[in-house]
Amino acid sequence: MSTPNRDAKSTISNFTHYPDDAGYFDEFGGQFVPEILRPALEELQAAFSKLKQDDAFNRTLREELTHYVGRPTPLYFAANLTRHFGRARIYLKREDLAHTGAHKINNTIGQILLARAMGKRRIIAETGAGQHGVATATVAAKYGLECTIYMGEEDMERQYPNVQRMRMLGATVVGVTSGTRTLKDATNEALRDWLTNVDTTHYIIGSVVGPHPFPALVRHFQKIIGEEAREQIQHQAGKLPDYLVACVGGGSNAIGLFYPFLNDDVQMIGVEAGGIGTGPLQHAATLTYGRPGVFHGMRTYLLQTADGQVQLPYSISAGLDYPGVGPEHSLLKKSGRVQYLAVSDAEALDAAFLLTRLEGIIPALESAHALAYLPKLLPHTTEAEIVIVNLSGRGDKDMQTYIQHMEKEQQNK
Amino acid sequence: MSQRLREHIQRTLAGGDKLFSVYITAGFPEKAATLPILQALDAAGVDFVELGIPFSDPIADGPTIQAASTRAIENGTTLPWILEQVAQFRRHSQMPIILMGYLNPVLQYGMERFCRDCQQAGVDGVILPDLPFEEAHALMPFFHAADLDNIYLIAPNTPPARIRLLAEHTTAFLYCTAYTGVTGANRAAEQQTTQFFAALREMVDVPYIIGFGIHSAEQVHRYNAVADGVVVGSAFIRFIQQQPLASIPDAVRTFVKGLTQRKH
Repeated sequence: MSTPNRDAKSTISNFTHYPDDAGYFDEFGGQFVPEILRPALEELQAAFSKLKQDDAFNRTLREELTHYVGRPTPLYFAANLTRHFGRARIYLKREDLAHTGAHKINNTIGQILLARAMGKRRIIAETGAGQHGVATATVAAKYGLECTIYMGEEDMERQYPNVQRMRMLGATVVGVTSGTRTLKDATNEALRDWLTNVDTTHYIIGSVVGPHPFPALVRHFQKIIGEEAREQIQHQAGKLPDYLVACVGGGSNAIGLFYPFLNDDVQMIGVEAGGIGTGPLQHAATLTYGRPGVFHGMRTYLLQTADGQVQLPYSISAGLDYPGVGPEHSLLKKSGRVQYLAVSDAEALDAAFLLTRLEGIIPALESAHALAYLPKLLPHTTEAEIVIVNLSGRGDKDMQTYIQHMEKEQQNK
Repeated sequence: MSQRLREHIQRTLAGGDKLFSVYITAGFPEKAATLPILQALDAAGVDFVELGIPFSDPIADGPTIQAASTRAIENGTTLPWILEQVAQFRRHSQMPIILMGYLNPVLQYGMERFCRDCQQAGVDGVILPDLPFEEAHALMPFFHAADLDNIYLIAPNTPPARIRLLAEHTTAFLYCTAYTGVTGANRAAEQQTTQFFAALREMVDVPYIIGFGIHSAEQVHRYNAVADGVVVGSAFIRFIQQQPLASIPDAVRTFVKGLTQRKH
């Protein structure tokens, strides 16, 4: 294992004051969008700046998070998993227990309140695994706004139960047939819809990606994960954790957990989807194998060809299958503050089954990537140390993949 | 600034004519078609061409240009190849050429190198819709050094102060999208937008042309009445993909004539 980042030298002393006024996380981020979207981004920035300091807005948000979303989510001491590795104590931040089964609702509930305050009548969103689509359709149903979700046709096949949930919630699910028919193309289609209906529509982007102010805005609504975990671990263990581990696709659950700890002496590991290999088209490990470029309105690490064409990502997990990554992660990687690495499809599957059998918790395939780093990390830890893993979602949507895996294992026996 | 482009625009407008330009994705429908298409557009009297650099994720484009981009990439179209085509075209023609595309392929090529190689190939200007003014401003020295025009876009939802800013900094002309949306939508010239364009005359003193979704002589006529000219993109791509290579010169002449009723 390469050495984690505790001693990494960085010239940055305060990681929490990004982005700057222009939307930059050092050299990453920005606002690389056609002029048509500029008025909407400015309107959004103005509304966000005002409302995040508005008592009534924050009270409503807090009430929704408590009574509708079910927060705070537990910080669960995984005794069996801890015993299995026999080293550091492992805690799971149970975002899988939030309403709709993943952390995505933290963001959608915040953004729908923003949309309502801006007087928007219509909501659009992209979705990969369908978790963000479901979380968006859910809040749109609750607040009575028209909702259209863009989803790649390949993902619709992989995550069909979520398609049915979105439809039951009253959303229109538009299958995207362009490009790779996955998350990146669903995002393209959502951006095109927004360009066309910019006056009436708010785009609830699902991760800490896209043009400014989205990365900062989504972080604002997701950082509650880390704020709660920080308080809970001090209460339960009497100290801060030594390690934080989270999976990274676009990176919203990871930023949510990491952000409140960025200036603490805590090591952080972002786990990317290593797929089936290290070559092109074999993985979705943007920070591990990509290089900076401009995509979906931001400058960030990107999987791309030498010519600057965006490369098809691959992962067994539809929620990690994205060729870009949030610009704040690009900064955290470049500065050495967070260590990013990739685990394979097979390692993620093994980790999902290990957690299920030991703790009775079926994790989402995305979260299983974070869990899959434990066998590599734990041998280097001591019993006095603490690891928090973000269990970002539950695995119901992945049952088809898990069942196939079990059947394959049966045949091999 | 490109003298060739600026002088051509001034001469055309001074003579009471309107500008008529065409967008075509480079390397579409096949690589062998690009040079013949440029030559045919020149012969048909088009004022300048916007030659598209294909990109994998063209967020401001509708299905027609998306498909053309995908096809061009599959055909192996790259920025160095596009610059070669322009250089070849330049040996026999002075029709201005503007490269239009998304930022990332240009960034990966290197902005300074891109500007220098554009100048060498005989490119006159660039339009990069996802490179906003705030980002482009720092790059202006490169554009200036290479005599390249950097053309900004505005839309009917762009606020007046922003329009004035972009009009002040755009060189050659201002590109106006006919509506808020993506390229190639089937929308008539609405009264509200024609009023917006007519009012621009009072606000800006650079030439401005209208693009997005233009496919009929009637639209060209209506937009010419309130602007300095038009760009036709998706409609040309839909047309050209049905033409065999050998008939490109005649077909292009018929297409241009059909939209402009010009005699050349």
